[in-house]
Amino acid sequence: MSGLFNISPIPASILVVGLPFVAFLIQALLGKKSISGIFSLAAIILSTLISGLFVFTDIWQKAPVSYTVDWFTIGNKTVTIGILLNNLTVLMQFIVCIIALPVHIYSKAYMKGDPGIHRYWMYLSLFCFAMLGLTVSKNLFMLYIFWELVGFASYLLIGFWFTKNTATEANKKAFLVNRIGDLGFLIGLSIIFSLFGTWDLLELFGDAGIFAQGIDKNTGLITAAGICFFIGAMAKSAQFPLHVWLPDAMEGPTAVSSLIHAATMVAAGVFLVSSIFPLFNDLVLLLIAIIGSITALSAAYFALCQYDIKKVLAFSTVSQLGYMMVAVGIGAWDAAIFHLATHAFFKCLLFLCAGAVIHEMAHHKEHSGQDFDPQDLRNMGGLRKYMPKTFVLMGMASMALAGFPLTSGYLSKDAIVISAFEWATHQGGLFIILPITLVFVSLLTAFYIGRLMFKAFFGTLRVPKNEQQHVDLHEAPRQMLIPMFFLGICCFFFVFSFNPFSYHQAGILEGFSVQYSFAEVHSLHLAIPTLLTLGTVLVWLVGWNWYVKNRYPLRSDSAFLIWGERQLGLNELYKKAFVDSTMSLTRFSYWWDRHIVDGTVNGAAYVARSISRAIDWIDRYIVDGLVNTIAGTTYYIGHLLRWVQNGRIQNYLGFAFTIILIGIVYLIFR
Amino acid sequence: MGLLSLLIFLPLAATFLILLLPRSLQSSFKYIALFFTVLQLLLSGYMYTQFDGSATGINQVSGYRFVEQLPWIHLDIGSLGRLEIDYFIGVDGVSLPLLVLSSLVMLMAVGSSWNIQKSPKGYFALLMLLNMAVMGIFAALDFFLFYIFYEVMLFPLYFLIGIWGGANREYAAIKFFIYTLFGSVFMLLVIVGLYFSVINPDTGAHTFNMLHMMNPNNYVEGSFFAYLDNSHTIWGIPARMIGFIVLFVAFAIKVPIVPLHTWLPDAHVEAPTPISIVLAGILLKIGGYGIIRVCMSIFPDATADANWWLGLIGVVSILYGALNALAQKDLKRMIAYSSVSHMGFVLLGLASLTAEGVSGALFQMISHGFLSAALFFLVGVLYDRVHDRYIYNFRGLAGLMPQYTGYVAIAFFASLGLPGFSAFIGEAFVIIGSFNAESVGTGIPRWMAIAGSVGILLSAAYFLWTLQRMYFGQTRLKGGEEWASKLKDLSLREKSILFPALALALVLGIMPSWVFDKMNTSVLNLVSLITAQL
Repeated sequence: MSGLFNISPIPASILVVGLPFVAFLIQALLGKKSISGIFSLAAIILSTLISGLFVFTDIWQKAPVSYTVDWFTIGNKTVTIGILLNNLTVLMQFIVCIIALPVHIYSKAYMKGDPGIHRYWMYLSLFCFAMLGLTVSKNLFMLYIFWELVGFASYLLIGFWFTKNTATEANKKAFLVNRIGDLGFLIGLSIIFSLFGTWDLLELFGDAGIFAQGIDKNTGLITAAGICFFIGAMAKSAQFPLHVWLPDAMEGPTAVSSLIHAATMVAAGVFLVSSIFPLFNDLVLLLIAIIGSITALSAAYFALCQYDIKKVLAFSTVSQLGYMMVAVGIGAWDAAIFHLATHAFFKCLLFLCAGAVIHEMAHHKEHSGQDFDPQDLRNMGGLRKYMPKTFVLMGMASMALAGFPLTSGYLSKDAIVISAFEWATHQGGLFIILPITLVFVSLLTAFYIGRLMFKAFFGTLRVPKNEQQHVDLHEAPRQMLIPMFFLGICCFFFVFSFNPFSYHQAGILEGFSVQYSFAEVHSLHLAIPTLLTLGTVLVWLVGWNWYVKNRYPLRSDSAFLIWGERQLGLNELYKKAFVDSTMSLTRFSYWWDRHIVDGTVNGAAYVARSISRAIDWIDRYIVDGLVNTIAGTTYYIGHLLRWVQNGRIQNYLGFAFTIILIGIVYLIFR
Repeated sequence: MGLLSLLIFLPLAATFLILLLPRSLQSSFKYIALFFTVLQLLLSGYMYTQFDGSATGINQVSGYRFVEQLPWIHLDIGSLGRLEIDYFIGVDGVSLPLLVLSSLVMLMAVGSSWNIQKSPKGYFALLMLLNMAVMGIFAALDFFLFYIFYEVMLFPLYFLIGIWGGANREYAAIKFFIYTLFGSVFMLLVIVGLYFSVINPDTGAHTFNMLHMMNPNNYVEGSFFAYLDNSHTIWGIPARMIGFIVLFVAFAIKVPIVPLHTWLPDAHVEAPTPISIVLAGILLKIGGYGIIRVCMSIFPDATADANWWLGLIGVVSILYGALNALAQKDLKRMIAYSSVSHMGFVLLGLASLTAEGVSGALFQMISHGFLSAALFFLVGVLYDRVHDRYIYNFRGLAGLMPQYTGYVAIAFFASLGLPGFSAFIGEAFVIIGSFNAESVGTGIPRWMAIAGSVGILLSAAYFLWTLQRMYFGQTRLKGGEEWASKLKDLSLREKSILFPALALALVLGIMPSWVFDKMNTSVLNLVSLITAQL
């Protein structure tokens, strides 16, 4: 029995990845015959247990393990696949499991009664397989495969309700924008292959790898490789300007949004850049930091102006991913992973709570027979009375998002902001703009999440009640609440660190022990958290005044708000600049193909036919004409002489006499 | 008679059998065709398992397997010496996978011909004749034999399109025939030129043996295509380059490359479904195969000089084909243009002259073979039911035909290069190989790889857009209720044709070594043959 309970980490992690795949296969084979999702649920439970008991505990803070097999040989290069288990990968795999599990349980209640639910479970298991595979891939090529597969699963899940036009628009957009990133990834792979001939993460970035031995990283190709991989990460992690797909992706079921488009898949970009961190030189890192802060700022602004509850959360995700990218950019990728971990829990919870709210609002819509958008914040209000538990949970998650003390978000956000200040101090000059932006974004974050809470849960319900004045809203079912409670607990500091005020004791940061390029500034560790907390409280007071006391000072049609809601017209700009111009180009190229290329072919055929007609004419009238003329002439001459042969003896004698006469005359006059 | 000859001439037996049987037995013709193609698939599969990957192929007869060489036409023609034409066939790592592919695609074509009503006798007899010709092309090692099979292939295709095709079939058939003939006529000139330039070192006679043509030592000094010290030019272009260009154009028409591709959309749109399957699945590969076997192997020196242009043509084909596919409103035409785009990857990979690029190109040929066959079959499913394939006449088919939509989605995603499917391996390694070319120094610049990768993005765009327009959304059909009742989901026959093709795409995507292990040695040999000339 001891053998059974002591699986070594490599086979264990293969099981973790493989079980959801088996569930996917079973669900695909059974189709409509199995709608309970029991296989998917069982798979993820087992995966979580195995990942927690046999992979994470065996590897975390211990020696990394890896396993490689040859996959195929192309030419004389052998491509391998393998499992790499180190602190980063096992942590990521465990996070994915531990988030996916509550989402599965929640989905059972949330998706109940949907006619396509068998597809839902199938897609969800496929996603889990791909995402878990991505986390433990040993080489970049294998990672790329899972990278695209998670995108494919995301495509399927966004378009889950395929009769909805907005959903199919959104999943196409998500896949195509991600494809742009995938091309970056592919070119990055090509550069790495061309430079080093291997994609193995250990051989490249391991302790004894190529990069650890010190190579010149400031060459053009390595910079290009860094940028290419970052483009891949930008698309997946929704970084400005490739973030446009994520808000639209909210067309998928909310449980999917919470798992894929908030907690795990979108974090894959951050995971990627952390895994290949040694590849980046200072130039690329600066670029990452700049893009990250632009993303954080712009998305926070967009989040302020949204009315759709899921869109607010989507932009909030984009903004938080921007934070993580900044952390990578300043060299503190451990802080990025830390924030990734804490964010996964509270953002997943926020989405699940929003899902519960939407579920009830849609329910109310159905029962009251009124037509309104169940996701619009303007229709909500006062939900605290009807859904107190959801309110408390969402409040906890909001505090974590805002970085309020005692929450997990407080620790991880401080880790990023303080490191950014330290980095800026070390760099000097204008670099200080970057951490100041982060502080500002942090206040915006507090404001928009406060706005969401105030509008949804305080005041009174803004949708008119039905005739009996009966509001058909109640708490989410237990099957949805239990996973939410679990995630709620994980929003607190003690899950990640026993010290609620200092991130330095956080287990995740200790696990990575990254050497920063900048020195610690002690005064900041007190000043920044104080500043952020006070700011947050202040911002909430303002929000309370505006949204609950209804002392709203702004006009709702101000340009600032309208442009924010329309994301500064980025979607329209992209449509004009890229989609429409490509479509014009395709129309032109088809016109060109039909009229110029094929026109030339048909023209050549026409010329050939014309020439043959001309030759036919020549043949008929010149060549054959000549023949006929000769024949005709001969015939005519013959015709002329024919009457001589008329059979009259007198005539013959006359001719003979004439000829003789002519002969005599000739002889005389010669 | 060796196994390879058996493989080639089995369908000929089917042709005779079908021709001899009386018309009253015409319902049996499809079973005869099916029987013989299944037999062929089993045979080629057996040969595939027996083939060892160590065969170097390309330019040494010792590198070929299943070799059969019989003197065929040996004539003393006076002052011109001895005419030496052999029945010379064999397979290496380049041709064997294509042979297996051909027999599989032929089986799919026979399966999709099940409902042919119009004179089945002629149809199946011609299809089997075509089958023999393509097998012969992939196996022939004597240029004269190759050319005969190549011409024989044209003849049944002309009638199959021209008689069993759609409304505008005569135009398409003539266009296809003339286009291909245009290439092959000039090819004949080069063949004759090569014949007079090459001598069989064993007999001292001129020869059509392709392997002798690949050895620089066999060229007669001062002859037109002489390898070394060749001063012959035409319009200032070296003779060997001319020979290369002429042969390249002949095969490039088949691939097809932009701008010699316009026969393809017409032929596809007019051809009946099974012939579209054969065209896309096999015929296009003959172009790629010819470039490898003939152009690159016999003229490695010219290839090394011209590969920049080959790469450029590949990139142009990728992008131009993809853009045109995006503009199409006829589903079949869209897939025809997507073939142009996907075959562009083959050319780019071959031009890269790196082992990864060339292997990727070969893999792409195999993968495109059955994926495009599956795609055309899927179009045929729709066309069979309602005789329409205009994209905007359909909407929300997923609700009506869920299984069909499932197969379409898999085929589309496999074709757009989703990892796990074969097209991904092919395209990714073409890009990786051609990117690596600049580091290796074969003269393909990196921007070509990057431009080619844009084709991958565009292919996602046109496939996903089609999926969205035709299959998703609320069901709305041009033909209304009448169509809705006709649009039944896939039958067992249709599923049993589609399933193997898509399963194979998946299997090869996961286990590419099943193909790479057979072809690696040959590819390395080919690459070293050409890069030695750089």
